Amino acid sequence: MNRKIQQFVFANKKVVLPVTVLILLGLPFVVTNSYFLHICIMVCIYICLALSLNLVTGYAGQLVLGHAAFYGIGAYTGALLMLNMHINFLAALVISAFITGLFGFLLGMPALRLRGDYLAIVTLGFGEIVRLVFVNWKTLTRGPAGLPGIPSPQVFGFTISGRTEFYYLALILTIFTVFFMIKLINSGVGMAMQTVKNDEIAAEAIGIKPRKYKIMAFVISAAFAGMIGCFFASYISYISPTAFVYNTSMTILTMVVLGGLSSIMGSILGATLLIIVPEILRFLNDYRMLIFGALTVFMMIFKPEGFWGTGKRRRNIYKINSEVPSRESNS
Amino acid sequence: MKKTMFSLFSSFILVTSLFAFGCGSAKSDVIKVGVAVPLTGASAEDGNAIKNGVKLAAKEINAKGGINNKKVELVIEDDKGDPSEAATVANKLAQDKDVLAIVGHFNSSCTLAAAPIYNQTGVVSVSPGSSAAAVSKAGPYTFRVITTDAVQGASLMNWAVKDLGYKNIAVLYENTDYGSGLADVITKSANELKVNIVAKEAYEVGSTDFSTALTKVANSKADVIIVGGLYNETALIAKQKKNFGLEKMQIMGVDAIYSDALLRLGGDAVNGIKMTGYFSEVSSDPVSKNFVSKFKEEYKKDPSTYAAYGYDAALIVFDSIKNAGTDRKAIRDFMAKIKNFKGVTGENSFDENGDVIKQPLRLIIQNGKFIVTDK
Amino acid sequence: MFLQQMINGITVGGSYALIALGYTMVYGILKIVNFAHGDVFMMGSFFGLFCMQVWEMPYYMAFPMAAVATAIMGIVMERIAYRPIRTADSLTVMISALGVSTFLENLAMLLWGTGTHAFSNFSGITISTYKFDNIVLSNIQIGFIVLSLLLMIILYFIVNKTKIGVAMRATSHNIKTAKLMGINTDRIIAFTFGIGSALACVAGLLVGIYYDAVYPLIGYSYGLKAFAAAVLGGIGSIPGAMLGGFVMGIVETLGASYISNGYRDAFAFAILIIVLIFRPAGILGKKEIDKV
Repeated sequence: MNRKIQQFVFANKKVVLPVTVLILLGLPFVVTNSYFLHICIMVCIYICLALSLNLVTGYAGQLVLGHAAFYGIGAYTGALLMLNMHINFLAALVISAFITGLFGFLLGMPALRLRGDYLAIVTLGFGEIVRLVFVNWKTLTRGPAGLPGIPSPQVFGFTISGRTEFYYLALILTIFTVFFMIKLINSGVGMAMQTVKNDEIAAEAIGIKPRKYKIMAFVISAAFAGMIGCFFASYISYISPTAFVYNTSMTILTMVVLGGLSSIMGSILGATLLIIVPEILRFLNDYRMLIFGALTVFMMIFKPEGFWGTGKRRRNIYKINSEVPSRESNS
Repeated sequence: MKKTMFSLFSSFILVTSLFAFGCGSAKSDVIKVGVAVPLTGASAEDGNAIKNGVKLAAKEINAKGGINNKKVELVIEDDKGDPSEAATVANKLAQDKDVLAIVGHFNSSCTLAAAPIYNQTGVVSVSPGSSAAAVSKAGPYTFRVITTDAVQGASLMNWAVKDLGYKNIAVLYENTDYGSGLADVITKSANELKVNIVAKEAYEVGSTDFSTALTKVANSKADVIIVGGLYNETALIAKQKKNFGLEKMQIMGVDAIYSDALLRLGGDAVNGIKMTGYFSEVSSDPVSKNFVSKFKEEYKKDPSTYAAYGYDAALIVFDSIKNAGTDRKAIRDFMAKIKNFKGVTGENSFDENGDVIKQPLRLIIQNGKFIVTDK
Repeated sequence: MFLQQMINGITVGGSYALIALGYTMVYGILKIVNFAHGDVFMMGSFFGLFCMQVWEMPYYMAFPMAAVATAIMGIVMERIAYRPIRTADSLTVMISALGVSTFLENLAMLLWGTGTHAFSNFSGITISTYKFDNIVLSNIQIGFIVLSLLLMIILYFIVNKTKIGVAMRATSHNIKTAKLMGINTDRIIAFTFGIGSALACVAGLLVGIYYDAVYPLIGYSYGLKAFAAAVLGGIGSIPGAMLGGFVMGIVETLGASYISNGYRDAFAFAILIIVLIFRPAGILGKKEIDKV
């Protein structure tokens, strides 16, 4: 199914791309419903989050279960900069991305020594610790009370207000993220990351330093999550630690996996689906999450490569990545 | 080819259904009032209590013919106690032009997240549960029928220190906007009243293990425990304290702990807990009595304090719509001027921030009932 | 106060240890992290409550009854959600486990509501406390610690001294070879899930009775920390899980009492990260050799 669509898209790239862009740009004029636009903005935010997680987990092979922490660090950094130091939104955006990237480096360093599940639990622990700092370091973050009254972005003297304007801003950031990821993946750096993921020892043997590329993946992934976190803070104008809990990390991970690891289109689709479907199922409120859980299991059994995945999981002749050799030790 | 068609078809359905759900239809023969509370998640019990209070009020008014001969229809949304969800729900309700006012939200963080949206669109929200200080500044369209933490906290401390003579206070509070805010008020008050805070321990909502905190309290010279939390943890603290030799330790709190669940969970251990509050189920006041009996009849259980707040919030909303009509701004202007509106949680008057002004009662649990006390 | 806090820590550590055993056994055999295990703990607790509340069984009957029910649930869970994807990579299995976790939590919420339930009215156990100096011990606390240790010893015995234990260890070493040796690996795996779930159930009941509370989302916090405890001790190692559980409980309690209760969970994770930096395979874990 994906093959056919992919082929269709690539064959008619000259037509499909501009049409998509037109639809995206023209959306607010067709749909003036602010609830719908809000959903679109949330989709954009989560696309960026899913893409950033996909970079470090899908392409570089480092399982991160605490990604919401980076989202939160970016949001709090941006909020504090804008609230306390009255820094302009664009500057705050850059600084948030930079500082969050630094935290990505901090998490990446110890993570280098760890494999698979150990790495996962450490990232999970990191996520929890960061959240608890948000909650307990009251002098900095106001703790659970959160930070209200975050100012709206001011871009070149023009204040962004109203869903439509926020939508365009979100769209710009999302398109930037998508393009950056595509370029990165197809560049030497991206290839190196994937090589490291597939077989670390072979990579090292041909001169690719795994440490360097793993750290790079962590830093870039964190930076983008931080960037969109700053946008989120300015958009909702109020942030509190509850937005950056374990559940959020899990949601982002599910988006990435459902869409298909190592697939940019997959992450975009995964994010879109996981935001829109619960909204549609709102009337089934009581049963919503129950269905969700069952659906996830179902998907994993019957279509584990995700909707847009590379399909390598099932038909994998050379057994690359399906059974990690190092686990079967001691025999 | 079939699969491609299927996926295109399903995405088409997906998008159109979102359109359909998003766009409300214009029905002018009913009065729509939004209810935005947590129906799932940690605060679900309180959220459902509020919902039930509002539904009861709506049922009563519809039985009398509705507002200006139009029936009241409630649009109930679940904000899950999460600020991001609250923003989504607020967007949904605010952009439906037929929704004239909203009763919500419950958690202060949700009210704060939703407030910019309601204020930008210009629709009132009346909170039956957000007591954090920051809500006062949330905007001209944000009202509440619950007093701030400062009011209840100060009143509680006055009672504890001036009337009951406690000098060494242990504070156990939940790590949320609510608990933390209350703990700050209590600390400030203690400084002003020149008494000591000998223990100040935070706990996560959902904790079941209070041994560490209670051990610390037992080793301090505390003569009273003030709980900045909700009924679950309060009941557990009450039950577990005897494991640490604290059987006789007095527990005090504010009305957030007033609920059936506290009694169910705490059993005997919660008898004797003192709290400030605005509602007592055994009050002899006719409005309260009527509410309590109707609630019991409808839902087969006693109303908690949040059900009472929800009921009052709904009554105020209905009254404002009745007098001001269906224009959202007019409703807001009328509400701002309300004085001494008699509800089940007292006489409600709003100040310039939309905060309600009223004095709390003193309550104590005796034999499984919340009664007014003067001691 | 130190001694009292140590006792508190050991008590809570016992519950982490019992749950961690389930994680470590499943990981040892299948190399997968059963993220839904915390919810198995929760369901076990609810099953016990159900037996005591609705069928009015006394606690010494409810415990085994609930343990059996939970074991069955664990086996069914394995059959439906894990066996079909046994050969898939760990991420797929993890997501599937998360799906099961969500499903169980919401099922519990539908069946029993989101609120907290008390045990005290139904368990038939009366709490009595004993004071020594300035330490207070309750009979439940003693029962808790004793039962945890007893179960761990029994498990150790089963795994190391019985035939089925040999089969379990063989399967966790190398599943293919075990199959070749004639071991019915499917049955062994089901058995492992069953035991792990039963242990979690007992932990759930102990926690429920001791703290006198259970609610559908309780599995999240306990499950997470128990998993961390299993990793801390060296995932795949049974003594490791026991050790990890107690270490986790003690560190968390001492940190909470001497530094700050609000950061309680942070201590649990911090100790994990610190240990993993110095011993990446956990305290008692085996170093994994990378084959080229």
